[in-house]
Amino acid sequence: MRKVFAIALMFLAVAAIADELAIGAKAPAFTLANAVDGKTYAFKPGDGKISVVFFTCNQCPYAKAFEPRLIEIAKQYQAKGVNFYAIDPNDENIFADETVANMKDRAVSKGYPYPYLKDGDSAIARAYGARVTPHVYVIDQTGTLRYRGYVDDSARPEERTKSGLTDALNALLANKPVANTETRAFGCTIKWKKSA
Amino acid sequence: MRAFAPFAAFCLSAATVFAANLVEIKEPARVTASFSAKAPVRVVNVWATWCVPCVEEMDDLRAISDMFGTRVSLVGISLDDMIPGDRTAIKRKVTDFLDNKRITYINIYYSGNSDALADKLRFNGEIPITIVYDRSGREVWRQQGKLDRNKAIAEIRKQLGRNR
Repeated sequence: MRKVFAIALMFLAVAAIADELAIGAKAPAFTLANAVDGKTYAFKPGDGKISVVFFTCNQCPYAKAFEPRLIEIAKQYQAKGVNFYAIDPNDENIFADETVANMKDRAVSKGYPYPYLKDGDSAIARAYGARVTPHVYVIDQTGTLRYRGYVDDSARPEERTKSGLTDALNALLANKPVANTETRAFGCTIKWKKSA
Repeated sequence: MRAFAPFAAFCLSAATVFAANLVEIKEPARVTASFSAKAPVRVVNVWATWCVPCVEEMDDLRAISDMFGTRVSLVGISLDDMIPGDRTAIKRKVTDFLDNKRITYINIYYSGNSDALADKLRFNGEIPITIVYDRSGREVWRQQGKLDRNKAIAEIRKQLGRNR
């Protein structure tokens, strides 16, 4: 009986991992509205561009700690033709900070160089298998997921030893394989919108 | 002055009872060395003051610590250091939080690499997480996310029963 239970547990563990979008998988497309101006952004994987899709939010202190770094990286790599999409999947009924109006305030005051998109039903975060904010995904020109995980291994610049996001972007821009395709994203758990 | 002395003594004793027990550790290997060797059950809880569900479960953890006393060695690991800022000020914030919650079980101010800690405890980076070990250090139960107090108590009782 114990053995059966152990095997069942193993299957459950595999199922849990399978929920996260696998490296090499086709990235999910999305069409979401930018909190800043209401303009719709459609991400079509395979559009010939390298794209960074990252889940972030207004409330999480750890996500906010990475904000300056993500702005810096976006400005640097947008100049090299990389697209950036910031997505807030948190339920505004759990944290009022996450309303579209508050998202707009934050994006404007911080000067986000990327659209700040509301994933109102958390569906896109679910499709990517995101767990926390911040959680980063890098998709290549063919729409294939090539990196997922953290921005860097530390939010303290002086203690940063690995830069998962920029390492992945540098590899893709040089047409090389990404050496470290998966890293462990730390952060605040996504405050999921409950399904209706 | 004489009238003040008993009041001062009371304040001092109250401060002693509720003083936070915060120790800075950088090396993940030292985390498990913080358990009391005598306790048959060991519990680790990874948390941060900036993590809402972590803060919400703190009263339950204090209740568990109070309930089982020395039979359970409970160690908290604060990841507050992950947010950039002045370490002394952040430590003060953690200590104040623990004092405010009247938590006296040992807490680690973890200032090492978070990835290395997650490797050591085998968790995916989401906090809170609570892990129960037996006397030999074998993991017997874990809860990712906000603690279910009754489940945790039942699990600890089960382990204590096995250790009789």
